[in-house]
Amino acid sequence: MIQGSNRRLANVKTRTETGLEYVLTSLDIYTPFGQKILKELKPFFPGQEEDLRKELEKVKDMVSFTEENRDSIEKLDVIFMCMNNSSLTIERSANNALSVVELFELKTLLLQMRSISSILESGSARVPDEFVLGDTEALLDELDPRRDRMNTFYIYDDFSEKLADLRRQKKELEHSVRRALKARREEIRKEYGIMLTPKFDIVIPKSGDELAKARQIKDLEQVAEDYASVTFELSKTEAIYEITKAMEDITTSIEDEELVIRERLSRKVSEFAHILLENCEKIGRLEFALAKAKYAIKHNCVKPEIVDEHIIDICEGRELQVEDVLKSKGKAYCPVSMTLEEGVTCITGANMGGKTISLKLSGLVPLMAQYGFFVPCESARIGLSNYMQILIGDSQSVERGLSSFGSEMEELKEILDNSQERSVILIDEIASGTNPVEGLALTRSLVDYLRSKPYITLITTHFEAVTEDPGIKNMQVRGLSNVDFRKLESELQRANRRERINIISKYMDYRLYTVTENRQIPKDALNIAKMLGISSEIIEGAQKYIK
Amino acid sequence: MSILLDLSKKYKTLSIVGMAKNAGKTTALNYLIEEADDEGVVLGITSTGRDGETTDVVTGTDKPRVFLYEDTIVSVPSQLYDLAEAGLEIVKKTDYRTSIGEVLLCRVCDSGYVQIAGPVAVADTKKMCAEMFEFDCDMILIDGAIDRKSIASPETSDAIILATGAVLSRNIKRVVSETTHIVNLYNLPVFEEGQARSLIEKHCHEEKIMLIKDGKIEKLGLKTGLGASRFIDDAIDDSTEYVYIPGALTNSVIADINPEKFRHTRFILKDPTKIFIDAMTWRQYLKRGFSVSVLKNIEVAAVTVNPTAPSGYSFDHEALLTAMQEALPEIPVIDVRM
Repeated sequence: MIQGSNRRLANVKTRTETGLEYVLTSLDIYTPFGQKILKELKPFFPGQEEDLRKELEKVKDMVSFTEENRDSIEKLDVIFMCMNNSSLTIERSANNALSVVELFELKTLLLQMRSISSILESGSARVPDEFVLGDTEALLDELDPRRDRMNTFYIYDDFSEKLADLRRQKKELEHSVRRALKARREEIRKEYGIMLTPKFDIVIPKSGDELAKARQIKDLEQVAEDYASVTFELSKTEAIYEITKAMEDITTSIEDEELVIRERLSRKVSEFAHILLENCEKIGRLEFALAKAKYAIKHNCVKPEIVDEHIIDICEGRELQVEDVLKSKGKAYCPVSMTLEEGVTCITGANMGGKTISLKLSGLVPLMAQYGFFVPCESARIGLSNYMQILIGDSQSVERGLSSFGSEMEELKEILDNSQERSVILIDEIASGTNPVEGLALTRSLVDYLRSKPYITLITTHFEAVTEDPGIKNMQVRGLSNVDFRKLESELQRANRRERINIISKYMDYRLYTVTENRQIPKDALNIAKMLGISSEIIEGAQKYIK
Repeated sequence: MSILLDLSKKYKTLSIVGMAKNAGKTTALNYLIEEADDEGVVLGITSTGRDGETTDVVTGTDKPRVFLYEDTIVSVPSQLYDLAEAGLEIVKKTDYRTSIGEVLLCRVCDSGYVQIAGPVAVADTKKMCAEMFEFDCDMILIDGAIDRKSIASPETSDAIILATGAVLSRNIKRVVSETTHIVNLYNLPVFEEGQARSLIEKHCHEEKIMLIKDGKIEKLGLKTGLGASRFIDDAIDDSTEYVYIPGALTNSVIADINPEKFRHTRFILKDPTKIFIDAMTWRQYLKRGFSVSVLKNIEVAAVTVNPTAPSGYSFDHEALLTAMQEALPEIPVIDVRM
């Protein structure tokens, strides 16, 4: 299971909760070819460090290419947005005569490839060779006999002299029929004063004397009659029937010839199928590489350093989903640094102190790195993992009819069953939903178990006893420890509910620091409850119980 | 001078709308296409508001098959492309999808019959018309939905051509009066610019009944006026100048309103397609002082009459044409069968 091609680094929930899926869906990818690359995206695993370093070097090149060629990139995006998936048509060309619509789509694709090539050639920086498209100009010539390079298609007369000739014949016959009918219409008008419509019919009311006249005209055929009027149609002479029949024969020949041409063009397409499909894939890879570069630029991401030892070292990291929310409200994100090694690290600290977000960040950065992305940090050093999973409460467990504790235990089992050498395990406040005695015991025993394993484990918890165990690294949220509480309280007094939360986040210091000596976990819960407007009766009551 | 040349000078896009099924809409369309060919006007042809069910394709009934001349720009769903008798050069593949494939814009290279169909949504039709003009057509004719007059919402086109005919009634007077009623409704006065109009436009997206009293707006907690007559009556007082009704205007909306209140209060509607009141009742309301304005009206560019009903009876051509033209002196009336 471990080494197969279906090898999995992280399950969907982990990718979603850490924010990796959010990053992937934010990429600007429009073409079906780019979508395919995205869908089949595979992470790098331990042992592939060198490949990943090369990949990240390519991202770096793409970032500078993007920065130097902004105009070209915009033009490329316009083309990308209009691209359809024609791979099936290309494959069909081998054994089928493609339809006119399909040939039109292929011509569109060829013109798009032509534009992409010319945009890439016109840029100041050179695009890497792997994205240079194969030459398809000869095929375009086939589909564009007039060489005007317009994005239109029809089985033009230019495709074959025979076709042009047949169409000319048909048109001449059509005209001769029309001329004959028109001449007859004119005769009838002169002779009887009856004017037929351009379609050579006429409705005559029964009340007038026109009806009797019309009945005299022998080639005016009665086609319909009701109590008020009679409809006549100019009947066709033998000569016209002859012509009509000849026209039908020609129409059949035209259709045959069109099929011959479509078959010829389809064969040509199939000769180029290999290059075409390869170009489609190149376009997909180019688009994906550009999307990665654009994302890195837009979100200030940097190239992570890939190291051989199993560590996660994040300097000033930002959780992208939260950062986007804050940015949209015009607020800044407080970056967090941490260094995680194999063994167990606990994050403790104030409620509302961003522990869970820091936990997610510690998953996002290595995941992005292993998928070949730049990471949202000042700098980062990442050692590759075989397996990563986050254990965090979500609403789905309730929908499945499990209690929060039940689903936690289910996921914990999955984690313990699947963990292997070089794993990353992220656990958010496990066993907080059960009685504190058993909860603490379970957490401590879990920590004991994980401590001896070759995993990087990060746990957020309120059980301070856990952090006291030997060999456990403890990181704490700075929280409200350096805050002038009197100033904070005076601000809170005048605030409404929403403002209160904003004020608390303003004073909150989300950064983490490593606790070196035994220190008590700060008891901020009551402070925060008080700030959020819980009555002093309750707060004081609680304080009484602590004593 | 032909009617089409005349129309093409005034309007860029025209919808052809039938008063009922078989009112002669396709005949009217064909008539205008013939005229365009005679006059050298390059047409764009499309249709709207049709759901594009596959049964239509099988029976071929609801998709009008029209004979198109060279250079005409036409919208054809990709699955109907191969069925076209005419030679069609594909000039653009649009993003609009129907159940019978994406809509292609084509230029007719070789004249012949084509089944036309366009985007289903009215808003898409409007956008697509802009794309069609890029291919140098002089004017666009839109084949409206068969018997849903409501689809002729004013956003789609500059004006409409109303197709009417014997199919409406065996009584010629009735055909004329029903048609004039619709034309009169479509030509209702547009609510004049000013403070009251801006107020209503600002709030009309809320889809609530609104009253304007002394320049101030008052909203009722009702979404439509259906059955709400008494509430509206209660809300109207001496200072009420305008009442805005967001949904349909039916008998039940105004039945219980004290006619005394019609004198100083004007009713405002989004557009005339929201009115569902027959000619007779409408006249009675007007007599009692009822007045209505619309935020946007619909220009009727011409009326076409079809004297033959598919069930077999027909009127005297001249009689119908003359009666209709007398009833609508301002609007050109054409008999498409003559």
